[in-house]
Amino acid sequence: MRWTLFIGALIGSSICDREKFFGDQVFRINVRNGDEISKLSQLVNSNNLKLDVWKSLSTFNRPVDVLVPSVSLQAVKSFLRSQGLEYAVAIEDLQIYHEMDNIAADFPDLVRRVKIGHSFENRPMYVLKFSTGEGARRPAMWLNAGIHSREWISQATAIWTARKIVSDYQRDPAITSILEKMDIFLLPVANPDGYVYTQTQNRLWRKTRSLNPGSSCVGADPNRNWNASFAGKGASDNPCSEVYHGPHANSEVEVKSVVDFIQKHGNFKCFVDLHSYSQLLMYPYGYSAKKAPDAKELDKVARRAAKALASVSGTEYQVGPTCTTVYPASGSSIDWAYDNGIKFAFTFELRDTGTYGFLLPANQIIPTAEETWLGLKTIMEHVRDNLY
Amino acid sequence: FSPFPLSSPLPRPLSQPPALSAFILHNSSLQHHSPHSNSASVFQINPKEGCKVDVVFSTERYKPESLLQEGEGRLGKCSARVVFKNQKPRPAINVTCTRLIEKKKRQQEDYLLYKQMKQLKNPLEIVSIPDNHGHIDPYLRPIWDLAFLGSSYVMWEMTTQVSHYYLAQLTSVRQWKTNDDTIDFDYTVLLHELSTQEIIPCHIHLVWYPGKPLKVKYHCQELQTPEEASGTEEGSAVPTELSNF
Repeated sequence: MRWTLFIGALIGSSICDREKFFGDQVFRINVRNGDEISKLSQLVNSNNLKLDVWKSLSTFNRPVDVLVPSVSLQAVKSFLRSQGLEYAVAIEDLQIYHEMDNIAADFPDLVRRVKIGHSFENRPMYVLKFSTGEGARRPAMWLNAGIHSREWISQATAIWTARKIVSDYQRDPAITSILEKMDIFLLPVANPDGYVYTQTQNRLWRKTRSLNPGSSCVGADPNRNWNASFAGKGASDNPCSEVYHGPHANSEVEVKSVVDFIQKHGNFKCFVDLHSYSQLLMYPYGYSAKKAPDAKELDKVARRAAKALASVSGTEYQVGPTCTTVYPASGSSIDWAYDNGIKFAFTFELRDTGTYGFLLPANQIIPTAEETWLGLKTIMEHVRDNLY
Repeated sequence: FSPFPLSSPLPRPLSQPPALSAFILHNSSLQHHSPHSNSASVFQINPKEGCKVDVVFSTERYKPESLLQEGEGRLGKCSARVVFKNQKPRPAINVTCTRLIEKKKRQQEDYLLYKQMKQLKNPLEIVSIPDNHGHIDPYLRPIWDLAFLGSSYVMWEMTTQVSHYYLAQLTSVRQWKTNDDTIDFDYTVLLHELSTQEIIPCHIHLVWYPGKPLKVKYHCQELQTPEEASGTEEGSAVPTELSNF
């Protein structure tokens, strides 16, 4: 089963006559006169390009939005340029944003899609807020995914989890009781620029796509950019490094958006960050080998979660603090969360252990998401029962 | 694992990287088992000498379940001692395995692979195995197997106490005919190094004939920085004798 078919099945039938690919783009095309309209019509009507008009022509000087499948991108760009038609790329990585929109539309009493900021290349940063109650600042959990763009199982697991939450609410006593007590905020694509880049240019891109003055190398490692022993061990000051921490803490707007939101909210109790690969479930600290004050409790919870996860397909996870389980890493998200009063801070490194690594086959998405769900629920149940 | 001063808790190594495990399974014939799950690792650190790691892992056949015959075990069990000397590459490895397929069967399967490779269209001109979605065409599987074998030699050569490698992707392939009947296989892989998270392109050239030792030449790119001159790592690997198979 291909990733494309899987996501298509997940998403349902909005514009789904054809197979959907990651990397589709919406072109916003400016038409200024009748001549340009007829040129555009010529483009849209050509069968082999498979274009989809989203917002159609009504008057001149109004942009037309056209959905261009990734396979037709080059052809369309060439055509537009040769005909002198002005265009801009409006939205990219549609699938996940579209699906988030659908989930919120299908369950308006439970879910809202909230914009928390934007990326370096000006893509929106969307979270899904799951909430059953009114009232400001209910205790909350943050589920972070896709901060390292090449770890595709992370974003996929997150969007599957979103669907799982809405379909199991009021059917599964566990998630129902969890949501009665706290809100869940889910950020499936914490690094949208990187994600698009992995779909269009380099499948193994990890960092953001911010420009580094004075260097030809692009991007910083968004999981070395948080204000927790920033620029300490396990990060690099070389912009060309995959673990470049950036010029200063929160320099990456993608990180800053999350930090600002969480700090403004002020009542987060749990922060979980999804990565791949290695099959590890870790808790602070990464920036030092010192023991976190709550290490004993976190270790117990993590072991319970790993056990629940393993009960589905036998997938074994190792558990421990980041620094000694994998390697020292300063400026990481969960270290920041923990040092800012969010006690239940965990990192998942999802499947596998290196056979496919980042290129996990599509037929492992659902099994991974299903087992991870049990691990997440174990953590959430503990948080629910131990709110502070 | 990173070098830690003795006063702090000893770092726990990751499950033994598949590259090392894969190499452990090689003798003069091709792997028919891939390292499966990894069990406990125990280690001793003697900072003067280096580091020893004892690894236990199980293996599984590459052959799809449907082709396995009645009674053909899927999982083998191996235990190995890996000794790193002072962060130098090319650890020494001592390994014992049980329940692997017998030599005659292995030779048959080697020859089958050899025939499959010989039958492939030449030049191969293949890009990306697996593809970006993790998919490997069954038709391309023999290429992946052979590429993985060569890559595991390279990774073993480069592995140290602090550098652990995985094969991320095979990005281009060429196979040449040779005057004799060997498989002459030239390809590029992307290796993923765990502690730096770097992706390292390596150009690998291997020559293989069933029953004969593999010959591997390779050339890996160093991390490119505008500030430094680029360097390369080159070498050729000839497998050392493995004991106790």
